[in-house]
Amino acid sequence: MNSTIICTVCPVSCPVDVEWTKEDGVLGIRNHLCKLAGPYVESELFDPRRLLTTSIPVDGGDWPLVSVKTDPPIPKNLMLEAMDEITGVRVKAPIKVGDVLMTDILGTGCNVVATRNVKSA
Amino acid sequence: MGDREFADVAIIGGGPAGLAAAAEAKGAGAERVIMIERDERVGGILNQQVHDGFGTKVFKEALTGPEYSAIYEDRVNERGVETWLKSTVTELTNDRVITVRSERGIETIEAGAVVLAMGCRERTRGAIGTPGTRPAGVYTAGAVQYYMNVSNLAVGRKVVILGSGDIGLIMARRMTLEGAEVVCVAEILPQPSGIAGNIVRCLEDFDIPLYLSTTVVEIHGNERVTGVTLAEVGPKMGEKKGTRRYFDCDTLLLSVGLIPETELANALGLAMSPVTNGAIVDESFHTSAPGIFSCGNVLQVHDVVDYATLEAEKTGIAAAKYAMIGELPETNINVTAGAGLRYVLPATISGGDAIDFTMRPWKEEHDKSVVFKSGGEVLRRMKMPHMEPAGMIRIRVGKGRFKHVVNNEILVEVEE
Ligand code: SF4
Repeated sequence: MNSTIICTVCPVSCPVDVEWTKEDGVLGIRNHLCKLAGPYVESELFDPRRLLTTSIPVDGGDWPLVSVKTDPPIPKNLMLEAMDEITGVRVKAPIKVGDVLMTDILGTGCNVVATRNVKSA
Repeated sequence: MGDREFADVAIIGGGPAGLAAAAEAKGAGAERVIMIERDERVGGILNQQVHDGFGTKVFKEALTGPEYSAIYEDRVNERGVETWLKSTVTELTNDRVITVRSERGIETIEAGAVVLAMGCRERTRGAIGTPGTRPAGVYTAGAVQYYMNVSNLAVGRKVVILGSGDIGLIMARRMTLEGAEVVCVAEILPQPSGIAGNIVRCLEDFDIPLYLSTTVVEIHGNERVTGVTLAEVGPKMGEKKGTRRYFDCDTLLLSVGLIPETELANALGLAMSPVTNGAIVDESFHTSAPGIFSCGNVLQVHDVVDYATLEAEKTGIAAAKYAMIGELPETNINVTAGAGLRYVLPATISGGDAIDFTMRPWKEEHDKSVVFKSGGEVLRRMKMPHMEPAGMIRIRVGKGRFKHVVNNEILVEVEE
């Protein structure tokens, strides 16, 4: 089969032409500007995932919020459910980029990880 | 009144461009580099852009805005850049004297070189041609992004978005994830203004409708917005009769484009481009005023932060060189945008160095080429499977190609 899948890894948004079959997976891709398109297209066809980003309130920090992401990206259809899990959680400063704030969300094996440094106020 | 300070390089703005320019100016040997930021923290727009997609060119992976910013913040600190926070530049003169207002009072800096890196702001005026007073509940998308991602304030439960700029699309997703209902996005143009990836990840992922060639003709509500009326527009942007549709909502977000923050540049009387609304620069990102440079979104609005960073790094190095040795390569070759391109930057080059040209096309094109020509001969041809106005194009031309330049003129065009 031939499909065009827009790579959404970065704003360049390459419209990647993909040749693939259900049995053998991705056979070839073209029109992509970098290597990140390969794994993205593969996942988009067989296991669509999204890096979910949001923020969590922080107590005692120099910022009211810490921005977070799911690591690795979570299945696309679980984004709203994951938001329900994350909503209501509060964390304490200090926090460093990369700190794991929640583990194995919705049993997906994905963690929620800080993307901002928040110092104690 | 404070004393007069001296800096080799002064950077105005501590967003992604200012951070990269400051780090590289210091790295290139400038002794005292001062970066002036009006906010209480550096990072600029990246602080509120908590989504991912930053860094694929520079770091070969997709980071979130705050992660990307943190890397450069660490870098300027390690290299010993002086950061002045909560400091506003009130005046900049042609001989590079900067007046700064902060909690300390008024201070002046005399700088060997100045880098303008103030970024851009959101367009608002002219966005909605509706008469009368405006009820509460109308915001720009970027303001709401700041409220939600930095200040932790919630805004609106039922939202219509006017304009399909990237920040509006990103806020459509953000507000949906936070439990609000995004009724639709209306775009007056026949094509989206935001990048294709955001149409997929911010609208299609959540089944949010996008109505093209459609705009807001009426805002309802006295104190607070209660709804909007949308209508389709014809090719000349006139309202099409019989296409009015009413939608309930408590919030209207505007995402109708970004323009460079050019107050300081205008006050200086710099040569400006009417197309980018930024300064006209040469290959060193040097403006028409000696020792004053410009990069990042104040020069041209970027959609990929990595490109703003790369541009700013080059600018920082050039500014340091200017401050230390007082000269830059002479740029005698003029570069002009021809058929199919809105603009190309830089405007002049020396021919002695490889150049990363940036440009935007007028319209969406498939399987065309961008061609660099001089005296009718082709210097470089780059095949472009796909290009659109929402996506900035960046093409490197090696210095060897400039040997064939005739009459100091290069024309850049879109061809079959
Ligand atoms: S292929 Fe590379 S450049 Fe193109 S959108 Fe994907 S990450 Fe960006």
